[in-house]
Amino acid sequence: MVSNPLALIAELTHRCPLHCVYCSNPMQMASAADELSTEQWAGVLQQAGELGMLHAHFTGGEPLARGDLTELIAAARTSGLYTNLITSGIGLNESRLQALADAGLDHIQVSFQDSREEAANWIAGAKSHAHKVELSRAIRQHRIAFTVNLVVHRQNLDHLEEMVAFIEQLNPDRVEIAHTQYYGWALANRAALLPTQAQLDKAVAIVADAERRLAGRMRIDFVVPDYYAKYPKACMGGWGRRLMLINPAGKALPCHAAEVLPGMAFENVREKSLAWIWQESASFQHFRGEAWMPEPCRSCERRGEDFGGCRCQAFLLTRDANATDPACSLAPDHSIVQAAVRDANRSSGVAQVQAASSFVQLQNVNEGLWRYRTNPE
Amino acid sequence: MAQPLDSSQPRLAAGCRWGGTEQDRMILFPEGAIKLQGPGRRILERCDGTRTFGEILAELHKEFVSTDPAKIRTDIATFLEQLQKKRIVDY
Repeated sequence: MVSNPLALIAELTHRCPLHCVYCSNPMQMASAADELSTEQWAGVLQQAGELGMLHAHFTGGEPLARGDLTELIAAARTSGLYTNLITSGIGLNESRLQALADAGLDHIQVSFQDSREEAANWIAGAKSHAHKVELSRAIRQHRIAFTVNLVVHRQNLDHLEEMVAFIEQLNPDRVEIAHTQYYGWALANRAALLPTQAQLDKAVAIVADAERRLAGRMRIDFVVPDYYAKYPKACMGGWGRRLMLINPAGKALPCHAAEVLPGMAFENVREKSLAWIWQESASFQHFRGEAWMPEPCRSCERRGEDFGGCRCQAFLLTRDANATDPACSLAPDHSIVQAAVRDANRSSGVAQVQAASSFVQLQNVNEGLWRYRTNPE
Repeated sequence: MAQPLDSSQPRLAAGCRWGGTEQDRMILFPEGAIKLQGPGRRILERCDGTRTFGEILAELHKEFVSTDPAKIRTDIATFLEQLQKKRIVDY
């Protein structure tokens, strides 16, 4: 018997006012016309509660782009779920925040691209930084848990200390300092984002120091880039083991990037129940457990901890979804990751922050450095 | 930060709340949930932002008469300090 999933990731829309160069959304996005309706989402949330899930994580794209977000938060609370909104904050003013709080929002995670306004807007491809700072003050007026998500990479790691000091002023309960993970747009832009070993070593020391200083006031979660780790990450806590993601069009996925995997068909919540998808569907069973594992995973003592790493990363880097995640130092294809790390360490150069008066101009001046995330058709 | 003082008034931190069923009570918080039974549950149910740490200790001494009061104090203070570091409890 399969144990129940712990949390639902509700990817409400792929529409987003930001164009972050490290966005983990798929490059093939669901259009607004394909999105689930309010009633369909409410049905999904009710089933999630009945299945024994505890948390609902609302994400996107930008979930605030959905006009019915307040209703969906309320529907999740009615279904007994803890509600978490993962957002850029764009589209949120004080009155909408009040409405979300009244609907029972438990936790809000706001992403910050940098401490320096011009650099933050350069990464996001949008003028968004000043609004986020404003919004953080408004959030602290409510009894909602507040987390700041800071995405770090080659272009901003050199001033991590300054970024930590900036976040302290925002006064969140938690800060997640996460390195870019290389899927979707971030994989296309990897050369401009992958840090050097020296940057990483310095970051580890800065975070350790901040953790000591801020203990009891602010909790710090630091996600080390798996390209520099010895073992791969336990992606999603194991395939079909803890989490279920529903994408904007209603497809149920075991992982954000799973649609890149060839030859796999994913069920849609318009046709099947969450319980059936979790327990019976071929897609959720495909990499569940250990039967699919190749060596060295199959006999590895860590197979119950990291589950062979990420299937999507394995496919994106080796073209074989069954391969050991190349981020693992024991993987036969580890040389792929080593080569990327070697390239990243050939120089310590970073790019010049570019400002422009429009997104089209910004795309043009940064052509050759990276591609900005675009929106669904 | 340090352990609670006798005058501290511990309570659940913002965005942390009770959930689950009466038999299966848990605290829900941003990263997950903790199931609480026995003493842990009795301590946290008293962390309502009104009772002081000293009052909570006095109430628990009455419930666990056979346990050394000094041990109760150390155990509860350590428990609350750990939850405070996780940003689940404030005092």
